[in-house]
Amino acid sequence: MSKEKMKAAVIGAGKMGLVHSSILSTLADVELVGLCDKSALIRRFLAGIVGKNRVFADVERLLDLDVDIIYVTTPIPSHYSVVKEAYSRRKSVSIFAEKTLTADYDDSLELCRLAQGSRGVNMVGYMKRFAVTFQKARELLSQDAVGEISSFEAHAYSSDFFGVKEASKMPSKRGGVLSDLGSHVIDLALWLCGDFEVQSTAQIGTTDIQNTVNFRVRNDDQIEGTFDVSWCQKGYHMPEFGLTIQGSKGKIKVDDDTVKLETISGGPFNWHKHDLKDNVGFLLGAPEYYREDDYFVKSILRGDGAEIDFSNASKVDKIIEKVTERASAN
Amino acid sequence: MNVKAEKLLLVGDNPFHGISHLSQERVRERGNSITSAAYAASLVATSVKNGANGFMFSVSDTTLSILCTLKRPKSNPLNLYALVPYAYEYVRLATHAGGISGLAKQFARQVAFSGKFKVAALGLKGILKTDLRELMKAYIAYEISRIKSSAKKNGILRSVLLHEIITDMALALDIDWLFKSYVDFVSEFGINPGFETRNFSYLVKKFREWDIDFGKILIATPFNKIGFQMNPSKAECEKALAEISECNVIAMSILAAGYLKVSEAVEYIDCLSNITGVVVGVSNEKHASETFSFLRNRFSGRSYL
Repeated sequence: MSKEKMKAAVIGAGKMGLVHSSILSTLADVELVGLCDKSALIRRFLAGIVGKNRVFADVERLLDLDVDIIYVTTPIPSHYSVVKEAYSRRKSVSIFAEKTLTADYDDSLELCRLAQGSRGVNMVGYMKRFAVTFQKARELLSQDAVGEISSFEAHAYSSDFFGVKEASKMPSKRGGVLSDLGSHVIDLALWLCGDFEVQSTAQIGTTDIQNTVNFRVRNDDQIEGTFDVSWCQKGYHMPEFGLTIQGSKGKIKVDDDTVKLETISGGPFNWHKHDLKDNVGFLLGAPEYYREDDYFVKSILRGDGAEIDFSNASKVDKIIEKVTERASAN
Repeated sequence: MNVKAEKLLLVGDNPFHGISHLSQERVRERGNSITSAAYAASLVATSVKNGANGFMFSVSDTTLSILCTLKRPKSNPLNLYALVPYAYEYVRLATHAGGISGLAKQFARQVAFSGKFKVAALGLKGILKTDLRELMKAYIAYEISRIKSSAKKNGILRSVLLHEIITDMALALDIDWLFKSYVDFVSEFGINPGFETRNFSYLVKKFREWDIDFGKILIATPFNKIGFQMNPSKAECEKALAEISECNVIAMSILAAGYLKVSEAVEYIDCLSNITGVVVGVSNEKHASETFSFLRNRFSGRSYL
């Protein structure tokens, strides 16, 4: 790769689009050359911020630019068509898609095939892997701190829709609680405990939208796991993700703030995020956003694949599809 | 001791919004009482009684209710430092309103029907021309009028600070005109323009490039012994601080969200000569009285201005 800056474009100028655009602008190896949004109102305001010549209404016109990197931060249902269009026009482009990869597992598999034919790097924004506490938990597991994993409990809670009596259109746009919130903790469980299959599901929700979902999983090694996901919980100013992982020699409890290790030989040992060097080059929203963007750009520069590529991320889509199918059958 | 004679000792409002950067579990354990305006107002009063000389808050229904209940002598109103916009609430509203464009429409309706005609006219002009400068002015004028009508004569608005999300996003995107317009517009009200940031050294570098006068502004940013939220590093932030002696810098997160003891926190702040004041959130009466008594004794705090 030459020392020229890589050209990046962001498709979808909502909250996540603005966060990634901002962080990319602070990275030494990247130049933000375009932002695209379908809302005329947002485009007019963006023109006042980044200049008219960097704002686009059509994905096609943006892709005509000589871009090296594309961030897809549109609502989940449009990820498939946007990523497909990007690959059809630029085989060498590196693509970062916000989670989840698509709204449909078959579509995700097709994007995985397209990605394999591309020369670029691909990644999905499962940013919780970049939180220092979850990274510490992964390090402890790799050091065999709790021995063989036998079971885990995972949760993802937020108060986004606590007290909201009428289901607005927004939750369905966000893909339901599993895609919006649960996908992060499903990805974390896959990352920390390995692959698994859905065993059973119980779901509570409105007629067409999932608000609270519980399900059980198991894998070939007989590791059993449970998930509890809700965006209607009281008292969660920020979304919270957590896992308790039980092993033959001890237990790890991890959430966004702390990691706690208890073993048969000692403990508890506690690490707070304050103890785990949580500083970043530029903090916007949460340190994880900077780390994932920095990691993605460095993966491109090194010519390596990203760990959370489309293939790995599609496992989350598969779990979500299975849970949704089973819940519908119930 | 290496401190300026008059140090601002501000009560912060994070606990009143149910925020803890140490542990969300701890917030839930505290329950709802702390987010009630009446209880929060009593904590502000206790803090002031024990040495606090100002209140720094994000403008929200909760904090405006606290201002409404303040009782101060006319000769000694409380110094107020407002952060706008209250980003977390707007993110939540955007979630319910259908994203950023939905939020913009909702906000336009709110301003238009606020009964503040000058503000509404400014906002209308901004919307018709899709002019961000005009919209920003309308928004700032709207928030200033809300604060003043809530505090009445019990508080005096010293500074309006741009919330970190907006400050840091604008820094990253190089929107120099926003900072310059903001400084000019807020100064017109006789109020000190301010900026909250988690990227202090980046801000200092950019403001120097853009020739923004540090002597005219106030900056609120984390400074603490363990470098918590000091980006990119504690050393870089300390270096940047040493370069801007003319600026008013308020240290936030001095307790690293409750990770440090007050005595440890103060020992570190004492070593930083360019810190003008500190802001600390309190979660109960004992915490409020002990913390501000300690800060007052250590910093020889006297009333600001």
